[in-house]
Amino acid sequence: MQLYLPIAEIPVNIFVVFGMGGAVGFLSGLFGIGGGFLLTPLLIFSGIPPSVSVATVTTQVVASSASAVVTYWRRKAIDLKLATILLAGGVLGSLIGVVLFQVLQAVGQLDLVISLSYVTFLGAIGSLMLFESVRSIRRRKSGAAPKARKPGQHNWIHGLPLKVRFRRSKLYVSVIPVVGLGAVIGFLGTVLGIGGGFMMVPALIYLLRVPTSIVIGTSLFQILFTMAAATVFHAMGTKTVDIVLAMTLMIGGVIGAQFGARMGQNLRGDQLRLLLALLVLAVGLRFAVDLLLVPEDLYSIAIRKGAGA
Amino acid sequence: MIRRALLLAAMLLTVCGATRAQSPYELVTALSSDVISIQSNFTGTEIVIFGQAHDIERQPNNPSGYDLAIVVEGPPQDITTRRKGRFLGVWVNREAERFQHVPSFYAVASTIDIGAMADRTLLDELGIGLNHINLAVSGVSNVPLADRDDFRRAFIRLREEMGLYSEQETSIQFLTDTMFRTNIPLPANIPVGQYKVKSFLFHHGKLVSRTEETLAVAKIGFEQITFQLAQNYPLFYGLLAVSLAIFTGWLAGVIFRRD
Repeated sequence: MQLYLPIAEIPVNIFVVFGMGGAVGFLSGLFGIGGGFLLTPLLIFSGIPPSVSVATVTTQVVASSASAVVTYWRRKAIDLKLATILLAGGVLGSLIGVVLFQVLQAVGQLDLVISLSYVTFLGAIGSLMLFESVRSIRRRKSGAAPKARKPGQHNWIHGLPLKVRFRRSKLYVSVIPVVGLGAVIGFLGTVLGIGGGFMMVPALIYLLRVPTSIVIGTSLFQILFTMAAATVFHAMGTKTVDIVLAMTLMIGGVIGAQFGARMGQNLRGDQLRLLLALLVLAVGLRFAVDLLLVPEDLYSIAIRKGAGA
Repeated sequence: MIRRALLLAAMLLTVCGATRAQSPYELVTALSSDVISIQSNFTGTEIVIFGQAHDIERQPNNPSGYDLAIVVEGPPQDITTRRKGRFLGVWVNREAERFQHVPSFYAVASTIDIGAMADRTLLDELGIGLNHINLAVSGVSNVPLADRDDFRRAFIRLREEMGLYSEQETSIQFLTDTMFRTNIPLPANIPVGQYKVKSFLFHHGKLVSRTEETLAVAKIGFEQITFQLAQNYPLFYGLLAVSLAIFTGWLAGVIFRRD
């Protein structure tokens, strides 16, 4: 069934979009990720204009994280204070992101920046996850106990000023890296149409040493509100949020996520991380191939003014 | 379809016969509809253009020297055409050329090969045929002079691939010696706005008569409300999108509660 999208101004097959939402939702439920980094490229490759894809996925991420936040809220696994400070940074980053998005669109380099960023970030994070999960699987096979984290272990981040105590996370750190981290994720999320959970979670664990029990809930909570802000900024700035596309993706996504989450419970953590790493690398590679191979068509057009601009 | 067309054309004749003085070479045209509505089930449509050319003889083999061209033109746009080049091993957009006030949609139908209809200057002036559209460029451009034609050609080709530009030579059918009709397909991705439908009657390479009609392409109902909301009340639209998302997420979280 074809459905005309009011903002993208093209008809799409609603079942295909629903299916994409469902498939990405399944993977996001399986791996405990937002899935934006999969959904945005999928939409772009299927012919939705990149600006509409990015802006609309931010809305979809709001729905998928809201769904998960409900669960973590009930378990009280969210550090509200930490999340709020991250969020402040996130909103700031998101605002800068929307401005940059429009500038890049005007000079015709948006697609390039999106592709390059995907290659860089997905490549880096994917490789890190791949090494980490392979090492973890080997260690499990050889039966060696993983190295326990020493209490009070410090890195350079803990030497920064403006320290604040986060009771829930049992942390006493400077707000600078917290706001900075929030801003970077908010910025990337807005420009790339991703929630950034797969970057936020490792950063919170390895850089700030937030306890793992708190980390996912807190990260989701901050993503929820950063992406909500990003949606509003996109709606006001680029005017490319397609509510019909977003709703279709959301409904597919939240349903898929339930099945994914159920299946995820039967898999081991390190196996899941290995699969996720391969998935992340595959998406990154897809963008790299597009950048490196001779394009099928050297020319492209973009409407700048008048009808449909 | 043909019967309906004939009926419409006949009606048209009576109306026109009453209102217009019959003079040689007079051209009369009418559209099957003045409004194209875009709703959620819109997947493209077509517009039928009917008409009559008075006092022309024996078509379509064209011994009389009469030729017809019909142009459907969408509201103007400024469009940037870019060309990729290799930069540090990566393919990036390099040169860009901005075409100003080009039609967002352009379809031309004609009785014969457009080039044979009139001389180049006249076709350029009237903008008949894909090779004769006025593609004005902005002053600022980093395209070398020698490559400008490549950009024009690429622009037209890309628009053709999108279904927004088309040229259908010999697609005007004559129902009788003087009555004609043609179908212009309007694809699903047509831009909204005011369209012009221009018809030209040539005789031995000279323009002897022309008509112009307007056609409105507009979103209606839900599509229009959504679009208007997004354009005129972006803050409200953004908040609405967020509320819908949070509600959907929350609802799913409650429905599929696992603990």
